[in-house]
Amino acid sequence: MSADNAYAVELKGVSFKRGSRSIFNNVDIRIPKGKVTGIMGPSGCGKTTLLRLMGAQLRPSAGEVWVNGQNLPKLSRSDLFDARKHMGVLFQSGALFTDLDVFENVAFPLRVHTELPEEMIRDIVLMKLQAVGLRGAVELMPDELSGGMNRRVALARAIAMDPQLLMYDEPFVGQDPIAMGVLVRLIRLLNDALGITSVVVSHDLAETASIADYIYVVGDGQVLGQGTPAELMSSDNPRIRQFMQGDPDGPVPFHFPASALDADFLGKR
Amino acid sequence: MRRKTLTDRVALFGHSAIEAVAILGRSTLFLLHSLFGRSSTGGGFQLLVKQLYSVGVMSLAIVVVSGMFIGMVLALQGFSILTKYGSEQAVGQMVALTLLRELGPVVTALLFAGRAGSALTAEIGNMKSTEQLSSLEMIGVDPLKYIVAPRLWAGFISLPVLALIFSVVGIWGGSWVAVDWLGVYSGSFWANMQNSVTFNTDVLNGVIKSLVFAFVVTWIAVFQGYDCEPTSEGISRATTKTVVYASLAVLGLDFILTALMFGDF
Repeated sequence: MSADNAYAVELKGVSFKRGSRSIFNNVDIRIPKGKVTGIMGPSGCGKTTLLRLMGAQLRPSAGEVWVNGQNLPKLSRSDLFDARKHMGVLFQSGALFTDLDVFENVAFPLRVHTELPEEMIRDIVLMKLQAVGLRGAVELMPDELSGGMNRRVALARAIAMDPQLLMYDEPFVGQDPIAMGVLVRLIRLLNDALGITSVVVSHDLAETASIADYIYVVGDGQVLGQGTPAELMSSDNPRIRQFMQGDPDGPVPFHFPASALDADFLGKR
Repeated sequence: MRRKTLTDRVALFGHSAIEAVAILGRSTLFLLHSLFGRSSTGGGFQLLVKQLYSVGVMSLAIVVVSGMFIGMVLALQGFSILTKYGSEQAVGQMVALTLLRELGPVVTALLFAGRAGSALTAEIGNMKSTEQLSSLEMIGVDPLKYIVAPRLWAGFISLPVLALIFSVVGIWGGSWVAVDWLGVYSGSFWANMQNSVTFNTDVLNGVIKSLVFAFVVTWIAVFQGYDCEPTSEGISRATTKTVVYASLAVLGLDFILTALMFGDF
């Protein structure tokens, strides 16, 4: 059984490999209930992989992934799909269904998982769209939406079933300042208003730090550090400091490993 | 570049063989889950009808036009050959048997692979690359049941019907060329056809062939889409693979089925 009810998600000794390449090695992460937790790290460090492990879209090579009191990798395929009804994910691309309009996209989880009457589905969809400020866009198709609107509709769909856990995969990437500000505010607002647990995977430092209650910094297949945004900002760990202050060079080198300069430029081989 | 030694070649062969077995295993599990896995969502019939339209009805035009031209060409060729032996009255029989036993199932399956099969692969591949499949999974909907299964069933149902339509239109095209254009006596055209075509040997065997082709072509198409690398290049490669693998599978299986059905051994 899960050790502690205070946590919505617990990764215990999780390792994950792609082929022979190790992505995570014995990682422990605990996501407290009702809080916004950021998972940060440089691009390519496996943040999205971590999110997919939490949603059991990937199976760890070792360790346990507990979500809402269930060890997801041990569930059968059908139980896993049942467990996911209590989770919502905002994908980086929005991942709206391109053959459905905004209304039907948001109504989709309600239609497949409930037998609510049409009037009630309509009311719920409009409420969710109102929450993200897009009630007026109800008849638009996904290809008529801007990137920011696309993500807000996806967010409305993610909260349609009132999930206990909401996960965001790089929500701020490619957004203009206004759309980014709207999303930042929405993530915090939804978390507090709906009383859910939020996990924000991002490398956008300022935005994530402004809404997260707690942050994990991952890199090199491990958790490099954890704490509140303020604690991490004043960390002595050079890896954390480099990431939090955005220094181009440091423990993570600016240059990709290469042969010596004179070998390339002066022909000394 | 280092020359490959014999050991390298053996290792490469072994690696390819392991990969082929792994793909076969993955595609079999994929098929079993899609067809027989538990579905927690309703609306299966509506999804099937939608796919029957997009896979079957939308393929009608190409099948009808191709069937008509192939029937017409068969009648022309048959007439020019049979005239040499004074047997031009048998052209109806030749057109019908060729279409029902061979060309109906085979050409329809090849056209189906090119038109509907490639579309299925590209559609599912694109859903994968835009994270729509992942999104379905995280909404708690199994994409194998919601996306793949209706497409599989639609392919299984559509192709045999399309093959029958192909044969019927082909026979009509053949009669138009032979009877109305080349002047073959319509009584002998249709009577010879009626006397020589039997339901079990010709029509039923043709339907069995197209059922087998439907199964293989649709399976290859949906699996290639689901298993593709989620990039533009990956989708393009998967679409090409669908057409190539499905066409080769249809032609190879046609030989085996023909040998079993008409081989007399």
